[in-house]
Amino acid sequence: MRAIFVKTLADLRRRRLQAAVIFATAFLATGTGTMALMIVSQTGDPFKIAFQAQRGAHLQVFFDPRSDTGMLAGTPSLIGATAYGGPYRATDVQFQSGGHKYVVTTIGRDNPNGDVEQLRITAGHWPAGANEIALTRSFADLNHISIGERLKVVSVPQEPVLTVAAEVVDIDEAQASITSQHAWVLASAIAPLIAKDSSSYLMTYRFASDPTTAQLKADLDKVSAALPPGSITSSVNYLFIRSIFNVANQAIISSLIAFSVFAIAATAAIVANLVTGIVISGYREIGIMKAVGFTPSQVVSVFVLQILIPTAAACALGIPAGTILSQPLLANSSQALGLAYQATFSPALDLLALGGALLIVTIAALLPALRAGLLKPAVVIANAMAPRGQSGRWLRRLASRLGLPRPLVLGLGDAVGRPLRAILTLLTIFVGVATIVVALGEARSFDGIYTYEAHAGKVDVVIYRSPAFTDVEATQLINSQPETARLVAQTTATIAVPRIVDPVYSLIFRGDSSTLGYLLTTGRWISGPGEVVAPRGLLQDAHLKVGDTFTGTFRGSALNLRVVGEVYDFLGGPGGHELILDWSTINAIVPDLAPSTYQITAKPGSNIDAYVKRIAAAEPDLLDVQANHTGVSSGLGMIDGVLLAIAVVIALIAVAGIFNTLLLNTRERMRDTATLKALGMSPRQVIGMVASSAGLMALVGGLAAVPAGIALSRALFDLVGNIGGVDTPSAAYGVYAAWELIAILVGGLVVAVAAAMIPGRWAARTNVVEVLRAE
Amino acid sequence: MSELVRLTEVTKVYQGGITGALNGVSVTVDKGEFTAIMGPSGSGKSTMLNLVAGLDRPTSGTITVGGTDLSTLGEAGLATFRRDHIGFVFQFFYLLPNLTALENVLIPAQLKGNPPTGRARELLDQLDIKEVADRYPARLSGGQQQRVAIARALINRPTLLLADEPTGALDTHTGDQVMELLGGLHRDGQTILLVTHDPKLATRHAARVISVKDGKIADDARLESPERAPSEVIRVRSEEAPR
Repeated sequence: MRAIFVKTLADLRRRRLQAAVIFATAFLATGTGTMALMIVSQTGDPFKIAFQAQRGAHLQVFFDPRSDTGMLAGTPSLIGATAYGGPYRATDVQFQSGGHKYVVTTIGRDNPNGDVEQLRITAGHWPAGANEIALTRSFADLNHISIGERLKVVSVPQEPVLTVAAEVVDIDEAQASITSQHAWVLASAIAPLIAKDSSSYLMTYRFASDPTTAQLKADLDKVSAALPPGSITSSVNYLFIRSIFNVANQAIISSLIAFSVFAIAATAAIVANLVTGIVISGYREIGIMKAVGFTPSQVVSVFVLQILIPTAAACALGIPAGTILSQPLLANSSQALGLAYQATFSPALDLLALGGALLIVTIAALLPALRAGLLKPAVVIANAMAPRGQSGRWLRRLASRLGLPRPLVLGLGDAVGRPLRAILTLLTIFVGVATIVVALGEARSFDGIYTYEAHAGKVDVVIYRSPAFTDVEATQLINSQPETARLVAQTTATIAVPRIVDPVYSLIFRGDSSTLGYLLTTGRWISGPGEVVAPRGLLQDAHLKVGDTFTGTFRGSALNLRVVGEVYDFLGGPGGHELILDWSTINAIVPDLAPSTYQITAKPGSNIDAYVKRIAAAEPDLLDVQANHTGVSSGLGMIDGVLLAIAVVIALIAVAGIFNTLLLNTRERMRDTATLKALGMSPRQVIGMVASSAGLMALVGGLAAVPAGIALSRALFDLVGNIGGVDTPSAAYGVYAAWELIAILVGGLVVAVAAAMIPGRWAARTNVVEVLRAE
Repeated sequence: MSELVRLTEVTKVYQGGITGALNGVSVTVDKGEFTAIMGPSGSGKSTMLNLVAGLDRPTSGTITVGGTDLSTLGEAGLATFRRDHIGFVFQFFYLLPNLTALENVLIPAQLKGNPPTGRARELLDQLDIKEVADRYPARLSGGQQQRVAIARALINRPTLLLADEPTGALDTHTGDQVMELLGGLHRDGQTILLVTHDPKLATRHAARVISVKDGKIADDARLESPERAPSEVIRVRSEEAPR
């Protein structure tokens, strides 16, 4: 053993540069790998993790305000809840901020902690006085409301002003872009905010284990039976929240996981490439050691230790560095997912990263070392030079036929001189370029979904009407504006559909809804009474197909409906459970049905700001008028940033992969390069030779990666669509411009050739006499 | 005959060296000459060859080849000079292992931009190795590899052929064959500068023998006839440079 350690340490001292290269690469790789593992672990089942961490409520029930609070406090024992919160007084509060009006369900609560529904404060402090309010971060982000901002409450005559004291994350509600939100004031501060007949009591329940839908229904029935009739006004369970969360966030989670896997694959490829190359370049020494009496296993041990020692040192720094550097990424992704972020330090994950890194390096070092160890010393010594034989011959011949200059021909042949190295390098480049393509595609897809769902380009202004202002008045006001070109009114309702347990969320349009630009995967858009379109999820679960008829139920009345198309509505109901139908279908049953929202398309060239201000000024308290929001949400911007950051790191690793391969090739071919220089190859030709190797690998890797990246991006998008219960129409995929793909390819080439400059110049400066004399 | 190579007070000191590999050497070589440089290991004979080839630069002194002062050329200029004027035959052949024999021969011409495949095949034929044109170096004998190396050195019709111990890695019989080849080339007018340990090989073909010892020229003898070297010269060279 002593001989092994003496030899290993002596070699490490002698090969300081090599040890430094292993250290630097392993540091980068373990750092990135650790970051990737951290992200994968946190995005594994983020809702479940956050639900446990924040002691989410399995069931939330709103009760009539006349209920006896003592009886309400007794309900948890009725249903076997292990923890509960409430009864909290709650009321819908409408407030004004920045010219817009919002409604939030405000709850009187003195403490963000507790046994159920712990609220994580992400900014500010919990309300300390009667004039302070806490909002969800999701709501504050969506509506650009900051801590310290003053909100004028317009739902009570006193119009008190509340200051935003805190932004919190609440695991028991979906994001603000999807559902209405809760807000919190001190329990003593709720009474002045309650408008007549608009309050309730909220109870939250948590059970020892996660209950099923049937169990939750049974529990609700028990509570209902124990209280006076009509005591329960509404309820929400965690399964519903989870399904909304999953639909909204699966795209982000899938992308993060995919990107993390890319990062791990790229780092593994580059480490294997580096270590294999170093062992191969040490063949001659292995042969000499065997010749002087080292056993094959001792030789292998010396070589593996030479690689493992700097790798272990790199892990000692790289893993903590990766853990620390992953925190901002995790914070960003948590924020994008609407979750609270807590610094995560997992010894188990760090050990996994350490074990994985050492295992990959050991395998990468062991395989070539074992191969060399099994060869006869003389053969090993004789093989210790640049690749010989036919590797790359076909490529050189092809390049010769194309009339390329000889240095380029030689460089192209060198690129594939060692097939395994070429494959590992190509894999690294492939992953790097594909990641960038996927990052671009996913970012565009997310943006596209939001743009599509917001009917950007189809609708210019959206108006939300207060019930105090009649539909007739609102319609007259809108139609009287000279800029109004088209008006589509909308309301939402729930319709019972056979074979579907929960009532189905339904969008009911009045006006020419075909102009809203919904994409259809099959069939056609609705054009009259009785016709509906639905996403694939509903059709599948209700055993329906385009052309089928069924009987739905709306407010107790039967509706004869016919499916005329399958619609793509990513942010529709959970699992794609959504119906879209025309006003005429419902109007016969409910003549007094009134729209809540008006979507307006202005005439070309209209001044939208002036239009918005004019209508808002006409009814400042009863209409909320907004230019159609087409911007990307801050959460989406953050996740785009996270994906981009990972893509950049992977691209850097790809560049390091090319650089590393060229260094190894250059070192191996030092004698050949010296010979070529002796035969008259100029320094510029030497650099051209090395650069052509890099260019070829970047071109081949890039050409394979661009279509693969597009396909992968589409597959991820399809996966997300499946989870949301929708099929993706081909029009939703068109996210790349041809010049962007060409730019990625050319950019990869330029970066690869630039990376070749250092080894190229090194090769060009080869001292012919010294190299050939050393031989 | 006109002068082709001139070394004037050339000194070469390697980094870390206490004494010079060459110390103030001055010598000229005429066009068409077959000159052998002999001397013991470390005497500076290979250094002299490398300097003439422009593979290395002298610490002081000037080297002129075909009227060109090599000190005036940069790296690119030296590369062009070697490509256009020098053919180099190494002791260990230094064929590129991933190219066939024919491809190896063609390399210098391809670097120049005009690959004369016909001439390459002619050279292989002339050197009696045309049947191995498509083989890789690993599948050639030592003698065949050195012939390929000679063909490669000749492909650009060099003004000066430099051979550094061309028989050093070959058995006696093959070495003799290689020397015969070089002799034949000289008879066809090729200027050759040969470094060898073997006085018998040197004096059999070279018309002039320069003896180098401790970085200096110890002797410079022009033989009456390359075929009949005086026994005295052979004796002196043998004592100076035993194999």
